[in-house]
Parts: sequence; C-alpha cells; structure tokens
Amino acid sequence: MEKRVHAAAIWLLMLLHGAAFAQGERTRDKMYQPIVGAGCFRRLNGTHQTGCSSTHAGSVGVLHLINVEADLEFLLASPPSPPYAPMIPPHLFTRRNLLRLIEAGPSNISVVLLINKPEKMKQFSHELNCPNQYSSLNNSETCDASNPATSWNPWGTGLLHEDFPFPIYYIADTEEISKLEKCFLKFNNFNYETHALRSLCAIEVKSFMSAAVSSEVCIRRTRFINNLSGSKYCDPLEGRNVYATVYPRNVSSVEAEETELAITSEKFILVTCRLDTASMFDGVGLGAMDSLVGLSILTQVAHLLRELLPPQSSLPDNRRNVLFVTFNGESYDYIGSQRFVYDVERFAFPKSSARRNLITFDNIEFMLDIGTLDDIANIKLHALSGTPLAQKLLQQLNNYAQSPRYGFNLNIQSEMSYHIPPTSAQSFLRRDPKFPALILNAKPANKYYHSIYDDADNVVFNYGNTSQDFTLLPDVGDTKNFKADSLQMKVRNVSSIVAMALYETLTGKEYTGSKVANPVLADEFFYCFLLSADCPLFKAASYPGSPKGLPMPPMRYVSVLGGPQESSGWTYRVLGYLLSQKQPKIPKDNCTILPLHYFAGFNGVGECRLTTQNYSSALSPAFLIDDYDWRSGNYSTWTESTWSLFSARIFLRPSNVHQVTTLSVGIVVLIVSFCVVYIISSRSEVLFEDLPASNAALFG
Amino acid sequence: MDFSKAPNPRKLQLCRTYFYAGFALLPFVWAINVCWCFEEAFRKPPFPEQSQIKRFVIYSAVGTLLWIVALIAWIIIFQTNRTAWGATADYMSFMIPLGSA
Repeated sequence: MEKRVHAAAIWLLMLLHGAAFAQGERTRDKMYQPIVGAGCFRRLNGTHQTGCSSTHAGSVGVLHLINVEADLEFLLASPPSPPYAPMIPPHLFTRRNLLRLIEAGPSNISVVLLINKPEKMKQFSHELNCPNQYSSLNNSETCDASNPATSWNPWGTGLLHEDFPFPIYYIADTEEISKLEKCFLKFNNFNYETHALRSLCAIEVKSFMSAAVSSEVCIRRTRFINNLSGSKYCDPLEGRNVYATVYPRNVSSVEAEETELAITSEKFILVTCRLDTASMFDGVGLGAMDSLVGLSILTQVAHLLRELLPPQSSLPDNRRNVLFVTFNGESYDYIGSQRFVYDVERFAFPKSSARRNLITFDNIEFMLDIGTLDDIANIKLHALSGTPLAQKLLQQLNNYAQSPRYGFNLNIQSEMSYHIPPTSAQSFLRRDPKFPALILNAKPANKYYHSIYDDADNVVFNYGNTSQDFTLLPDVGDTKNFKADSLQMKVRNVSSIVAMALYETLTGKEYTGSKVANPVLADEFFYCFLLSADCPLFKAASYPGSPKGLPMPPMRYVSVLGGPQESSGWTYRVLGYLLSQKQPKIPKDNCTILPLHYFAGFNGVGECRLTTQNYSSALSPAFLIDDYDWRSGNYSTWTESTWSLFSARIFLRPSNVHQVTTLSVGIVVLIVSFCVVYIISSRSEVLFEDLPASNAALFG
Repeated sequence: MDFSKAPNPRKLQLCRTYFYAGFALLPFVWAINVCWCFEEAFRKPPFPEQSQIKRFVIYSAVGTLLWIVALIAWIIIFQTNRTAWGATADYMSFMIPLGSA
C-alpha cells in the first residue's frame, strides 16, 4: 500500500513539474524563425530567362543591413565571412547597386532582401524605359530608351528583365523587418574582423525555380514525351479578357454558325484598356496608376453610356454599338490584345459558345484605347496619322473638356505621329498601320510604374465611404463632397468627357444634359481594387448572399492557367452589372439563363438584369501555333517557371571553424568506432567463450 | 550455385553461353563472366577445358573493356555538349535537370 502512495506522489510531482516546464517545441522550430515576405520568381520569354531563383537546397547568407551606399562596399571588397545577404531599403535598390551585387558573384552575395522602408525613396520602377518595346511598332520614333523625353517610362531601371543569380525577397511587414534588424544588431553588427570566427545571424531563402534558359526550352521539356517524371517546368502566362457591349447583341441562330452567314453589318466602336499590371514580387503590386485609373475610366464610361444612350433602334444608324474590352496580360508583350487580334482575324471572336455573331475587322468602326493617365492635365490623343476621324473626336472631346457648362477645364492635346504609347492599340497597329486606333494617354509621370509601390498612396486615394448609391448619375454641380483635385473627381471628369464625346458620335447630337459620371462610383471602385475586395461595389455586382470578397485587394497579375484570376472575375461582374439593363418584370426564378443574370444590386435585395459581358481567352497565339518560331518576335512568349515553395527563415549560422571542428570530431569518432569494433571482433573468443554448439554454425 | 563445384564440362558450357550472350549488347554479362570464371581459368590447376575457358574469359574481358571505353567517351561527349545540342540532347534524355540549361 505504501508503495502505491509513493508511486502516486512521484507521478503527481512529475505532472506538476511538467505542466510548468515541459516544452513540446521541436529543436528545429527553436533553431529557426520564419520570415514572412514575397519572393521574386523566374519568368522566361522566347530567348531569355529573367528574375530570380535560389539554389536547390535554399540559399543562405549572413544578414547585413545597408543604410547608406557605403555599407555596400564592405560586402563587395572581400568580406570576412561570405556569403552575405544585404538588407536593402528601396532607395538603394538601384540598377547600379544590383548589378554590382551580381558582379560580386554568388559566393559573396547569396540572397538580397528588399526591406519596406520607403522614407527616402524618390522613385522605384524596374520596368524598361520602353515597356513592351519588341512587341510594339518597330519604329525608332515610337520609343527611344536613351532619351528620357521620348521614352514611356523615364524612371525605369529595367531590372525586371535581368536574370539574378540570387533570390530577392521582399519583406513588407515592419515587425518582420525589426526581427531581422534585432538579430543583425545582436550578432553581426560589431567587430567585423572576427566575423569568420563566431556565429552570425543568417537567412535562408528557398525559392528554387524549375525552368531555365527560355520559354522555348522549358515548353519543349514540359511537352516532351520522354519526360518520365512528368515534371512541369513552366506555364504560359494566361488570363481572360473581359468584354461587354452597351447594347445587347442578338443570339445567333443555330444555322448561322458557319462563318459566312454569321458575318453581319454591325458596327462597333471599340473602347479598350488594360486589365493587368506587373511587379517583381509574387502577389504584391496593385498597379494603381499604371492601369487601374484606365480601368476605372473605362468602367465609368461604360456605365455613363448605358445610362445616357437612347435605345439602339432610335440611333441614326441602328447597327452601331460600343464594345468595351479590357485586355489581360498586356504588361507582358500585349498577350490579351494580340490574342484578340489573332481571333478576330481568324473569325473566332466571339467564340462559338457565346452564340453571338462574329465580329470582324470590317465591323470595327474605330478603336479608342485608354492608356495610362498619370496626369490628367496632360492628356493627349495619339494616332499614327491625322485622319478626319481623329480630328473630329479631338474636337468633340475638347468641346466637352473646355465647356463652361461642365467646368472640367481640361485641354486635350493631340499627337499624330509614330510616338505611340505602349498600349493595346499597338497590337492592332502592328497588324495594320492604317487601323483607325486612337489612344488617350497622358505624359508619363508615374515614378513607380510596374512596381510594388504603385498603390493607393501613389494615386493619393482617400476613401470617401459615402454609402451613397453609386449607380445614380449626379448633376455636374454635385461633387458628393469630393475635392476638385481628388482622384475621384479626376476620374469623374475624364470619364464624363469621353462618354459625352462617344454619345455625340453615336447619336449625332451634342450632349446637353447635366448628368455626369458619379464620383462615388470611382470612390467605391478604387476602394475595391486598392484596399479590400469586401466592398459595396463587388457586393452589388455579385449574386445576392454570395460569399464576401476577401478583405484584401484582388491580385492583378495575369498569372497562369489555374491562377486566381481574381481581377478578371471581378471586372466581369462589375462591367456586367454596370452595363446591364434592369428587367423588373422577370422574377428571380426565371432569371437564371444568361444573358439574364440576377445581381444583388446596391441595396442587396436582388434584381434581374439583361447582361452583355463575357470572357475571351488571353493566351498568347505563340502557344497555339504548331512549330512557332520563338525568336520571331511576332507574339508574346512569356512563361512563368514552376516552383515548389517560397520560404525564408533566420537562424544562427555557426562559424566555419565551428563547422570544421564538428565535422572533424565526427570523422574521428567514426574511425575510433571502427577500430574498437575490429578489436572486439578479433578477440571475440575472450568475450564469448562458451558459445553453444547449436549457435556456432550460425556465427561460424 | 557454387561454380567451383560444378563439373568441368558444365563450367565450359556456362562460360561459353555467357560469352555469346554478351553479344546481345549486354556488356554486363561479359563482365560477370570475367569475374565468375577468372578463378577457373587462371588459378586452378590445369584441366582439359581450362584453355577454352581461358580464351572466353579473355575475350569477355576485352569486350568489357571496349564497352567501358566507349561508354565513358560517350558520357563525356554527351555531358559536355548537352546544352549546346539543345533539343537533340533533350530528346536523348530521360531525366532533365531542374532549373538549369
């Protein structure tokens, strides 16, 4: 009995102790501390690879904080304990510095960390000076990289198109940055001469990329029949264009599916813009100024025209219509517009499943492309040559822009030359320089073009959160409390001007009403795309009661097949909602088959609407053509490498002396153990004297 | 089977079979033949079939050597030129390395 009491007491003691001191944490988790961030990855085109990759096992470097440019010198002039991982703030993340780090070689610099400390940053654009140069018009006048006055991205460093021998990891969160800094200060930032002799705080980044060389090579290897392991090396960049018309089109009859019957005499004004953006890091980059402003204007123009235009039958020419197209993947050599042109040329747009008559180039009256509008006071109408059409539209635009009645006070200039901005219209003009393409584009003023810092701050967006109905059109005097120089009002003004000019073109009559675009719609639009997808506009454009959007902005990178495609999905819903007609007589139960669609609407009560929107594929024709010549430069060839994981963690890397000692001790122990075993086995008869006869056979 | 315990004519027959089998592009069979019959051909006291066994072992050894030389040469040529040959080299490969040319 006493024994049991003793045992129970011991157990109790152990439990009590255990509760206080036991730690279930693994040694591995104690050694490493994960760092959250975004990685740079590898993209390939027909001839090159760009971006970054770690080594297969992960790249390790000793942390070194760079505060001023001189700090880099320490790393570049034979540092004591290489390889190092410099932590660079954005204002020092320049082309010159990065090229010096590349030159130092992977044995000195193994990882580069970009830390989010933008206080001293003046500019940050790593796109080329001439974006999409090789898929644009082949003319020296179009863009001259050496001349900032005529290049389209004068601040660009072109680092997006470099191939880095080390991974670059972007750390946005201030807590994560302070973790790194603390570790650096505690272990590394003193007595640099003894670095080689002591343990140092180091980071390990894993971002190994499977693809290499070029799209040609990785696509060939992926498609390769002998590929026993079934590994995929890269995927083509692929997304969806979203298009919609202001007037619904007739459903084509079944017999009309043959090409010749399906061609009609419809006439379209094509209004287009870019849907996507680009940046160096996975999942970061909103493209606020470089493409979202254009998209918001297109959306507003669409909504305004939908509200203002009379029924199609009462137009002077009732075959006319407006086709809005937002092209995806334009940042990567115009994927979306190249595919659109390819499809239209081959009588494949819209695709037959859409059950609408074909649209050919003969059906397109002219194209109005909305480019980047960095500074709305400096908008120009671009065209290759000064046609009467261009003159007329310019005069109409200026008529409204300068009219005292609306007080927009803008002056739209014109430039009729080969100096054409890098927008979707380039794909159309490349096919046929006589194509009637007009482009609205402002003088480049975006110092953060195609970067992680092209965000709400870059466009000075302050959410008004008015909770007002954004679908109603206000009078021109009603500014909804937005300041005249706010983003919302700028977008309102430009979209009203464009919509009024298009109204005049379609109806043949001057617009004399007082209704203009709603700044609240612009406000809600930017809130959804820049701050949170859980927002009133996205809610109104969804089915009632459908799950909320995520409380973060939708990703706007074109991505690959099976990627999130959030941006095109939301654009599809928003354009669908704003360009549709309410059908109050149709009950919810009958409102299930497209083009009828049931939306939540502004109040969330639900309404049936007649919609016109659809998707078309944005996959470059290069991946459809058999035996495509990858070096021809005809179509976009961008692919994205596959990878298995992105991760980063910090730990204390022992000194070289320490590591060599550990290894040597291990080897010595191994040798000693062999000797001991040999001695024991040679003297086994001493140890195992009376081996029973029955077992002797087994061992003998 | 313990080769050394087989009767001599059987040894000769096996050695001969292995030698001929090696011509079916099976250099490993020759290599095995050399290892297996070496003892009988060169170390054992003479017996009537020994000279024939000796001959097959030598021929097998020469074949193995030729194969080794040819294979090593091919591997060196292929590995040093793999990236330069591009698509052709890819079509000859079963395993393609990840993340490099």
